[in-house]
Amino acid sequence: MNPIPVLRYVIGVALQNIVRNRGIAFASVLTVTMTLLGAGAAVAVVSALDGVLHQEESQASVLKVFMADHISFASALNMEHTLGSEPTVLSADFENKNQAAKEAASGLGLSGALKILQETGAGNPLPASINLHLRDIAAVSAINSQVSTSALLYPGPHPTDYNKDVIPRLEKYIFAAQLGGALLVAVVGAVALVIITISVRTAAFVRRQEIEIMKLVGATDWFVGWPFLVEGIIVGVVSAILASAALIGVGLGFGSGGNLALGIGIRFAALVVLGLIVGGAVLGSFGSLVGVRRSLAA
Amino acid sequence: MSISTSPAPLRTDTQATDNGPPARHDPPIIVFERVSKTYPNGVPAVQDVSFTVRPRDFVFVVGASGAGKSTIIRLLIREETASKGHVLVEGQDLARIRHRHLPRLRRKMGIVFQDFKLLPNLTVAQNVAFAIQVTDPGRTHLKEKVGEALYIVGLEDKLNNYPTELSGGEQQRVAIARALIHRPRIFLADEPTGNLDPDAGWGIVQLLLQINHRGATVVMATHNREVVDLSRRRVLAMEGGRLIRDEQEGQYLKDGEANL
Repeated sequence: MNPIPVLRYVIGVALQNIVRNRGIAFASVLTVTMTLLGAGAAVAVVSALDGVLHQEESQASVLKVFMADHISFASALNMEHTLGSEPTVLSADFENKNQAAKEAASGLGLSGALKILQETGAGNPLPASINLHLRDIAAVSAINSQVSTSALLYPGPHPTDYNKDVIPRLEKYIFAAQLGGALLVAVVGAVALVIITISVRTAAFVRRQEIEIMKLVGATDWFVGWPFLVEGIIVGVVSAILASAALIGVGLGFGSGGNLALGIGIRFAALVVLGLIVGGAVLGSFGSLVGVRRSLAA
Repeated sequence: MSISTSPAPLRTDTQATDNGPPARHDPPIIVFERVSKTYPNGVPAVQDVSFTVRPRDFVFVVGASGAGKSTIIRLLIREETASKGHVLVEGQDLARIRHRHLPRLRRKMGIVFQDFKLLPNLTVAQNVAFAIQVTDPGRTHLKEKVGEALYIVGLEDKLNNYPTELSGGEQQRVAIARALIHRPRIFLADEPTGNLDPDAGWGIVQLLLQINHRGATVVMATHNREVVDLSRRRVLAMEGGRLIRDEQEGQYLKDGEANL
């Protein structure tokens, strides 16, 4: 069978169906666009949160072990060597009090405060530390327990910069965002599926006489069904394009420095658009199959 | 009621052949073997019906409304399946045909109905071409085939008319032309004269006789007494879902038979 006339017929009938039932087709496009918009927004938010988590993770996998002021340089180096040979530790670097002050001055903007302390003779209050880069964030707690009882450590309430609450809290946020996004997509997706099914079923009802004749003269099921499938795919893809346009428009509006809003890069945005188009096509074709199934079985 | 019995002029195309009378010794092309059909509501439409139809035969299935005539046609096109017994077409048991193979079966058959089943938004030529476009869209010489089919039914000058611009008889001829486009070996007609005046109805029957003369096996369900009596062809009489008479060159009613 020559595919060109078949393709021409299938696409022609699909477009004809959309024009004939433009009201319900519009409703389908609107609902699917909303679904995909919700899905795209959820993916963007979850991705942004995921980025924050990874950043926090990389920061949290560096454990600062603060040293007491009275210990000798040799003791500090000995401890650096001991900790550096732990299998969960990637590297251990000693940071003396001056380096800590420089870090605080540039990283935390405390240069003014440190200067005042120097001028008043109070000296540098910041402790020296051993900065441990760990292979896995899960090892932070164990290393922290191992070192925190050492007499060599800074005697304050926080002998290390370990904060046990940060990671679980972030993971909770991520889980909530993922769950919320998935629920949103599932609910609106189910509604979109129903609308597409109704739309295709209406098209099949309008064309029932034509379908009946097609079957009587020996048209195959796929020949009867393909135009409806293509109709669903067109609705899905058009909706995906609209949803993508809206998302990118909002992203550009709130974005800066070559990135979209929430720090989303162009490459990731392109992947989301591709995902939405594929998702729209799948949603549309699945709705069509459900909608036309009854007509084919009759 | 009176109808004109003067025969309509026979139309032939360049490839038409006279295939002669029914082949008495050929294997049957249609077999009904103790067929019963009960619909889901429990109503028995056909009960224990057996008959055979040989190639190039012309058979009237007669009976009152609800006698089971249309069910016989619906069983033949596998719109329905038998509850009991076997329906065979060209030796193939229709109950065993898979759903995806039904189109192949239906392309062997030409089917017309009382209500013509034409698409009102298509012209006569487009309605006829539709049967090819939806089964074999790449087919070449479509125009010639459509013209030929319309020539056979005598409507070659109505190519661009819409169904609503035609009489009932002409609309039925368009439906016949559409059914002829696949050159079917079996032609099934369910009350094709039911919506027509006597003259137009007789014209349709003459056309079906002509199609039969060209080699197709014709099964026509009807309760039109005049056309059956005038045609003098084989009659299967149905009553209450049962086959009560199978007669060569039969009449609609046999002497002493109650009105069907």
